[in-house]
Amino acid sequence: MAGILGKRKRVSREGAGQQNSASRPSESPEADDIQAIFQRHFEAKFKPLDLGLEKVEIKESAQERQDEEATDWEGISSEDEKVEIVEHSARRPAGARPGKDELKAFMSSKPPSFNTTISKATQSAPAVLDDDIEALNLKNDLALQRLLRESHLLDGSTSAAANTLAPSGANRQRALDMRLQTLGSKRSILTQKNMPMSHRKGIVAKATQREESRRKEAKENGIILEAATKMKKAERRRERGIGGPGVGKFNGGTLKLSRKDVESIQGSRSNASGGRGRR
Amino acid sequence: MSDQTTQPPIRFSGQKSLVSRLVLSTLTGRPIRISQIRSSSSTNTGLAPHEVSFLRLLEAITNGSSIEFSYTGTTLVYRPGLITGSAEGLGTSGGVLRHELPAGCSRGISYFLIPLCLLAPFSKSQVNVLFTGPGVITSATSTGDVSVDTVRTAILPLYAQFGISNNIELRILKRSSPGSGGRGGGGEVQLVFGHQVRLPKTIHILNAGRVKKIRGVAYATGVSGSNNARMIETARGVLNQFVPDTYIFSDVSSAPLVPIENKSNPGAKRKIGIGFGISLVAESSTACLYSADVASPPSGGQTPEDIGKQCAYQLLETISKGGVVSSVAAPTMLMLMAMGSEDVGRLQMGRHVLGTEEIIGLGRDLRAFGAAGWGLRDASGDDGDIIVSIVGRGVGNVGRKIA
Repeated sequence: MAGILGKRKRVSREGAGQQNSASRPSESPEADDIQAIFQRHFEAKFKPLDLGLEKVEIKESAQERQDEEATDWEGISSEDEKVEIVEHSARRPAGARPGKDELKAFMSSKPPSFNTTISKATQSAPAVLDDDIEALNLKNDLALQRLLRESHLLDGSTSAAANTLAPSGANRQRALDMRLQTLGSKRSILTQKNMPMSHRKGIVAKATQREESRRKEAKENGIILEAATKMKKAERRRERGIGGPGVGKFNGGTLKLSRKDVESIQGSRSNASGGRGRR
Repeated sequence: MSDQTTQPPIRFSGQKSLVSRLVLSTLTGRPIRISQIRSSSSTNTGLAPHEVSFLRLLEAITNGSSIEFSYTGTTLVYRPGLITGSAEGLGTSGGVLRHELPAGCSRGISYFLIPLCLLAPFSKSQVNVLFTGPGVITSATSTGDVSVDTVRTAILPLYAQFGISNNIELRILKRSSPGSGGRGGGGEVQLVFGHQVRLPKTIHILNAGRVKKIRGVAYATGVSGSNNARMIETARGVLNQFVPDTYIFSDVSSAPLVPIENKSNPGAKRKIGIGFGISLVAESSTACLYSADVASPPSGGQTPEDIGKQCAYQLLETISKGGVVSSVAAPTMLMLMAMGSEDVGRLQMGRHVLGTEEIIGLGRDLRAFGAAGWGLRDASGDDGDIIVSIVGRGVGNVGRKIA
C-alpha cells in the first residue's frame, strides 16, 4: 500500500511531453526501471553511457552541456540532469482507508507494532506436506467417530439432509447436546431448568409410567430389554447437631439402631461369608 | 544491598529532573540526596504533590527502599531498594497495584508512566499498576506532559528495539482532561509491563528513513465528538499533502465523575476534566517515531481547528528536528542504552533534540551516577545530526541476576 502511496513519479520535462508518443524502446515501467538499475550499476563501474535518446536531449540543451563540461566533472550521467517531478496526490486511493483491523490494532491497549502489516498467509504457504496429511487424517478420524456416535440421529425420514451426513433441525440440537455432555456438561440443554413443581412431577411421573409400560409389554411379548438402571435412593441424612449420635437415631432417651446400623457396626461379617454376588 | 549503607549518597540540588534522578538512583542502586527543592519559593516550598506521589509509587514497586524528607520537604534522601514490581505484598492485591493520585496533581499521567516504564524492564516480577484517584489526567497538559496515547503509540513501541516487546499493555480505562485550573482529573489507566529482561539489547540506530505514515488519536472527554472531527479535519488538511497515508482515530468519552469532600452530602460527585486534544505519531520507513501532542487548555477558549493545526505543525517541527528519536522519546532511549550491556550503542540525534537542557542534564546525571560519558560526533549527512555513542553499564537487572 505504502508503495503505491509514496510513489514518486520520475518524469523528465521532455519525457512528460513525449509520453504519449512512446518512443522508448521499453514500454512497461517495470522494464524501464530494471534498465535504469542496470544502467546505474554499469555507470558506477565504467564511464557513463550515452544512449541515443539522450543525445537528442543533449542537443536541445547544448549550452548547459558545455557549462558542465567546463567543470570537468563526469560523475553524473545524463539521466540525472532531468528535473525530478514529485507529485503529491491529494486524494487517497480507494481502499487506502484503514480498516477495522487497523483500528483495532492501533486503538487496542497494546502498543501498536508498526511492522506487522506483512500478511502471515504468505509465510505458511510452503508448509510441510506431511503435516497437512497428518492433520487431514486426524480431521477425518474425528469426523468418522462423530458420525458413528450420532448416526442414530440421522433418521431415514430426513433424507434431504442425509446426504450431508450432518444432523439438521431438532436432531442437530440433540447432537450438540450429546457433544456437550461428552465434553463434561452437567445438564442437558434440552431439559428445561426452571418450571413449576407440579409440571416437573408430572413429567417425571409420565416418563416412569411410559418406561414401566414398555417393560411390561416387552415382558409379555418375551422380549429381553436392557437391565433397568436402579435409581439410587437418596441417602438419608444423619441427624446433625451437637451431641447427636454418630450412629442410629436418638429418640425419647433411647438410641435406636436399625439392622443396617448394626451390620455397619459389626463390620465385614456379611462380606466374609462371601458368595453373595452373582455366579 | 549491603553496600548501600557504606555508599555515601550522591548529592544534587534543585527540583529539576527530580524524577530522572530518582529513576537513575533506583536503576543503579546508588542512594541520592536532593536538597534545596523549591527552597526559595515562599508559597509552594518543598516537594509538590505529584513528586510526593511519584515517591510513593517508587516505594510501592520497590522493596527495601527508604525515603526521608526534611521538615519542610526541601531536602530528600532516597535509598533505593530492589525493584520488585507488582509482587504480592504491600499494596498489591490480585497482582494489581493500585496507585491513587491526589486531587491536587497538576501533571499528566505520562509524568508517572514514562519513568515507571523505564523501571519496569529491570523489575523482578511483572509491573501491573492501576492509576486511579482524583488526580489522573490522561490528556496532554499545559505543564508539558504528553498524553497517554502518545506514551502508548510513540514511546512503548521503542522498547521493542531493545528486545522488550512481550506482554506490554497500557489500558486506558477512563479518559480525563485536566480539571479547572489544570489540577486533577478523574481518569483511570492501567499499565501492564510483563517483559523483564536481564539486559536490554545494544542498539545502533543511525538511519532515520523517511516518514511513511502518520497515525493519531483525537480524544474528547465530556464534550461533543464533533470536536474530534474538526481537529482531525484541520490536522489532515495540513499533513495530507506531505504524507497521504494519514489517518487519525477518534475517541469520545463522557467526563469522569469524582467525589467531592462534602460533609452535608457525602455521596456527592462532580464532573471534572472536560476538554479535547489530539496526539499524532509519524512513523518512518525505518520504524522511527515522531510524535506531537496538543490539548485544549483547562480555561478553554480555543477552537478544535486551532488545536488540530497546532498539533500538525508541532509534528512537522518534530520531524524537521531530525534524528531517529524525538525529544519526547530521547530520555527513554538514552537511559535504556546507558543501562544496557557493556558495549557501545549508537544513536543518531538531531542537533536540537540533543542540545536541550533536559538531555544534557541527563548526560551529566549519568556521569554523576558513575556511567561513562557520551561520545558525540557529527553524522555523515548534511542535516547536522549528531551521533551519540553510549557505553552501557552492564549491570542490568539485579533481580534477574540469579535466574
